[in-house]
Amino acid sequence: MIKSLFNLLVFPGFLFLVMSGLTFEWLDRKFLARFQRRVGPPWYQPLADLIKLFSKEDLLPKNANDFLAALLPLVSLASVLTAGLYVPIAGYKAFSFEGDLIVIIFLMSVPTLAYYLAGIISLGIYSVLGGGRSLLQFFSYEVPLLIALSGPAILGGSWSVSTIMEAQVNLGPFILFQPLGFILAVIGLIGKLKRDPFDIPKAKSEVVGGSLTEFSGPTLGFWNLVMDIQAVIGIFLLIDLYFGWTKMSHPSLAIIIFIIECLILVLILSGTSAIFARLRIDQLAGLGWRILVPLALLQLGLIILMGN
Amino acid sequence: MLNNVIQKAYRWAQKNSIWVIHFNTGGCNGCDIEILDLLTPRYDVERLGIVAQASPRHADVLLCTGPVTRQTRDGLVQIYSQMPSPKYVVAIGSCSNTGGVFVNSDTVLGGVDKALPVDIYIPGCPVRPEAIIEGLLQLREKISQNEKI
Repeated sequence: MIKSLFNLLVFPGFLFLVMSGLTFEWLDRKFLARFQRRVGPPWYQPLADLIKLFSKEDLLPKNANDFLAALLPLVSLASVLTAGLYVPIAGYKAFSFEGDLIVIIFLMSVPTLAYYLAGIISLGIYSVLGGGRSLLQFFSYEVPLLIALSGPAILGGSWSVSTIMEAQVNLGPFILFQPLGFILAVIGLIGKLKRDPFDIPKAKSEVVGGSLTEFSGPTLGFWNLVMDIQAVIGIFLLIDLYFGWTKMSHPSLAIIIFIIECLILVLILSGTSAIFARLRIDQLAGLGWRILVPLALLQLGLIILMGN
Repeated sequence: MLNNVIQKAYRWAQKNSIWVIHFNTGGCNGCDIEILDLLTPRYDVERLGIVAQASPRHADVLLCTGPVTRQTRDGLVQIYSQMPSPKYVVAIGSCSNTGGVFVNSDTVLGGVDKALPVDIYIPGCPVRPEAIIEGLLQLREKISQNEKI
């Protein structure tokens, strides 16, 4: 009872995920600033942004649905936090069952759909446009991401993340067998997080703020928190699936390796957003269905051949 | 006691996280270029927590440049009313402070204070980026002492 409560509220539940989400945002902004030869924000910047947003007035346009506007970020926050419970963090698994990878993928898709609905209910021109774009983007990146993530599951012989991790102790990290699948999963993650080459739904110069244009105050704070926690869980999931858990002589050494792997992934995400310019929505759909899906199917076929 | 701590946390956060939106009410674009300078690596205001936002609903501070003309007055007031409070207005440049060289024109009302309550005036034609940073730092001080939450 107390252990479950600790898992829900402290580690790897609410408190840990919120703190790691804020840390991710700071690292991302700092890395991006250093890539652009700027100084970058201080370490408390994401926390100050969050508290400031909670201190502000909550405004919405006339005739917008206030109840849904307050409910949607909470639903997305709840679903990403629930997904976080099933992702083993630094080898510690709080809850797991056969098939939790599918549940994680499903729960991670809820914020995208809520983002679309938030755009529709807030009645701004730019929010409706951003919501429609986010749904179109969803259909472009989600299929290659799902096919790529099924690679480790087939190789590990299970749909449970912790079993896949244990399989890698004997076989070696799965990134050695499917580097292409890892690259596709990272591209899919960038699309899911609406980060820079794929920030089509919230492109400032085209649709102002996307679905969140009309949101302010606590609602916007919750949405920013959802995006950060989604990024953190996506990073943890990719590390669990492709790098596994290295057995070291001392457990703290393994935790340090896990943190280094996380930092490398953050660096990859920041680097792509610093290097690449935004694609158009038709270019993204073409990239997703003409290039990424065939590559993902190729990788899947290779894995099935390897399994035999 | 708890209320006091929350108020202090709010004020600290508002001081350290200033999201700005920029609106030109009819100026010559000189001050706007100087505002864009702030985002470049040389000045980098993100180290002070200042981020440029695109939507007035996300912003705390309205950076105004140019004299307020009769045409743009309504738009200016509308953008200000879309910002969630607590909100602040910074008038950047001589035109924005007083009307500048356009002061007696038929089509110009004058400075931004003819339409909105202004918190900080930054003079200059155009304003140096260092002056804008100095003004925003003074706004930080004002926010940390201000009672309105």
